[in-house]
Parts: sequence; structure tokens; C-alpha cells
Amino acid sequence: MIEINATIIAQILNFLILVVILRVVAYKPVARLLQQRSDKIKGDLNKAEADRKAAEQTLADYKTQLADAHKKAQDIVDKANVTARQEHDAAVAETRKEIERMKASAQAEIENERNRAFDEMKSQIVTLSLAAAGKVVSKNLDTKENDKLVNEFIAGLNKNMFADLR
Amino acid sequence: MHEIGVRETIHFLGLTFNIETLKMTWLAMGIVILVACLATRNLKVVPQGWQNFVEMIILWLHDQIDAMMGRRGRMLAPFIVGLFMFLLASNLIGLVPLMASPTNDLNTTLGLALLVVAIVHCLGLYFKGGHYIAHFFQPTPVFVIINMIEEIAKPITLAFRLFGNILAGEILIIVLLKLMPIWMPIPSVAWLAFSIFISCVQAVIFTMLSMAYLANAVKEDHAE
Repeated sequence: MIEINATIIAQILNFLILVVILRVVAYKPVARLLQQRSDKIKGDLNKAEADRKAAEQTLADYKTQLADAHKKAQDIVDKANVTARQEHDAAVAETRKEIERMKASAQAEIENERNRAFDEMKSQIVTLSLAAAGKVVSKNLDTKENDKLVNEFIAGLNKNMFADLR
Repeated sequence: MHEIGVRETIHFLGLTFNIETLKMTWLAMGIVILVACLATRNLKVVPQGWQNFVEMIILWLHDQIDAMMGRRGRMLAPFIVGLFMFLLASNLIGLVPLMASPTNDLNTTLGLALLVVAIVHCLGLYFKGGHYIAHFFQPTPVFVIINMIEEIAKPITLAFRLFGNILAGEILIIVLLKLMPIWMPIPSVAWLAFSIFISCVQAVIFTMLSMAYLANAVKEDHAE
């Protein structure tokens, strides 16, 4: 049962042939494939990592831009508020000035009117005085009569002439 | 059923060959090559079918090689993958009725064991030179005797372990079939199942021990 013969050499050769065939047929392609796969997985992982970083960067950029936009919008609103306030103040000041001006012109007009009335009264007084003088001269120059005339005239003045000047 | 212990022999060029062992060896080789071809005919990055099986064996052995042998071990990977697949196929075809394992012949197992040991010593001399020879005389020159016994024991134990396990398994299959009546198949079926397990385990053990021996020769010495 246990006898060593030339089979041992044949078996060694057989096995070596098998190893050579297997190496060519199976081992090399499979080993290459395994290497490719591990390379691919490594590459994919690296790429995923890079993509993740890029995405984070983009997100950070967007956040910064959004914050900038918010800030700009706030600035614009603030500026608009300031402008509106200034315009409002300017309008109020303008209106006040207008009112002052109108007041002043009204006062001036009143003054004018009063002066005009005063002048008219003066000329009326002169005219009436002249008329009264004429009357006095045409009548006798009695003192009693004169006093009576003047008093009559003044009473007439009081009653009629200055009624609208008061 | 063939007679146990009697081998058909042929004579060729004045040499004697066990023809059944050779036939079964070629069959096992054919099966291994067929599986390898099936697995690699249509290689894909995402594996399918037989490719899974071969990839699994290669990846597992790569892990073992990397762990045991280090950087230079990859050079021997095709040899070890081939050894494992051949032993697995050889051990298993013996369980098919009317067939025998090539590994039930001491010529096969001793041939493989001597091949492994020869590779170990050649690589040891190639990689480590005089240092490799010197380590047989460590720690004192007297130890050369023990070391020699160890070196001689390596191929013998390797060969006889596999041979004994497989031959015993096959003999017991035949014995059980003859011993038990045909309506009582449980013992032979149970033994057959156990033999499948033994076939796989012996293939693993032979491969692992070969790797351990090769690792001694190939691994970089940190003391160097």
C-alpha cells in the first residue's frame, strides 16, 4: 500500500504544471481585478471626500453671500429711512418758513391798510376842516357862534365820520 | 469496489507509475482548471457566480500570506492558491463513488511536501544566504542535530498527515458500505459528511503549514 515509486516525480511535475496553468489562467487576472477594485474603491472614497469638501465649501460660500445680501438690504433700508427723515424735516422747515412768510406779509398788509386809512382820514379831516372854515368865514366871526360850529362839526365827526374807522 | 491496498501500476521507460493516482490527479487538475476558467472567463468588478468562489479563496489566502509572510509572501501567492485548490479538489473527488483521491497515495502527498520543503530551503538560501545556514547552528552548534531532525520531520509529517487522513476516510467509506446492510445508510452517510469536513480541513492544514514553513524562509528578519 505504501510504496514510493516514480509516481512521486510525476506528481511533482503535475502539480508544477497545474500551478503554472493556474497562474496564467486564473491567478493573474483575478489578482489584477482585485487590485483594480481596491484602486477603484480607494479612488471613489477619495472622490467622495473631495466632493464632500467641495459641497461644504459651496455651502459656506452661499452662507457668506446670503449674509452679505442681508447686510446690504439692511443698509439700503437704513439709508432710505435716513433720507426720508431728512426730507420730512426739510419739508417741515419749509412749511414753517412759508407760514412765517405768510404771517409777515399779512402783518405788512394790515400795516399798509391802516396807514392808508389813516391817510384817508387825514385828507377827510383837512377837507372837512376847510369846509368848516369856509362856513365859519362866511358867517360872522362870533366866538360863541364859532365854538358852536366847531362843536357841531366834531359831534358830526364822531357820529358819522369815524364810525367805520374804529 | 476496488481492492484496498492493491494499486494498478504501469511500467513506462523502466519506471513504475500508479496509474489510478495519475488519472485521478489529472481529473483533479482538470476540475481545478475548469473552475478557474469558469471563474475568470468573464471577470467583472462586481463578482458573480464562480468568480465569487475563486475570489474568496484568493482573498482569504492573500490575507493569510500577508499576515504570515510579510512583503515577499505575495510572490508565492500563486503557488499557495494552486496548492489549496488542488488539495481541495483532490480530497473531495475521493468521496465520489468509484473514484479515489490522488492524495490517498503517499507519492502525491510526499511529492508535494518535498516540493514545499525544497522551495523553503531554496528561498531561504536565496534571501538570507549564509545567515540561513547559520541559523541551524543556533543557539549552539550541538543543536544542529535537533534542527536537522526537525527539518526532516517537516515533510514527513506534512505528507503522512494528509495521506493518512484521506486514505483512512476512503477505507472507512468502503468498509461501512460493506459492513452495513443497504437499508441502514445512516453511518455511511454520517461518515461521508464527516469526510467532506475532513477533506476541507486537511487541505487547509496542509496549506497553512506550508505557508508557515515558507514564512520562515521568506519573512524579513528584524534582527538582520
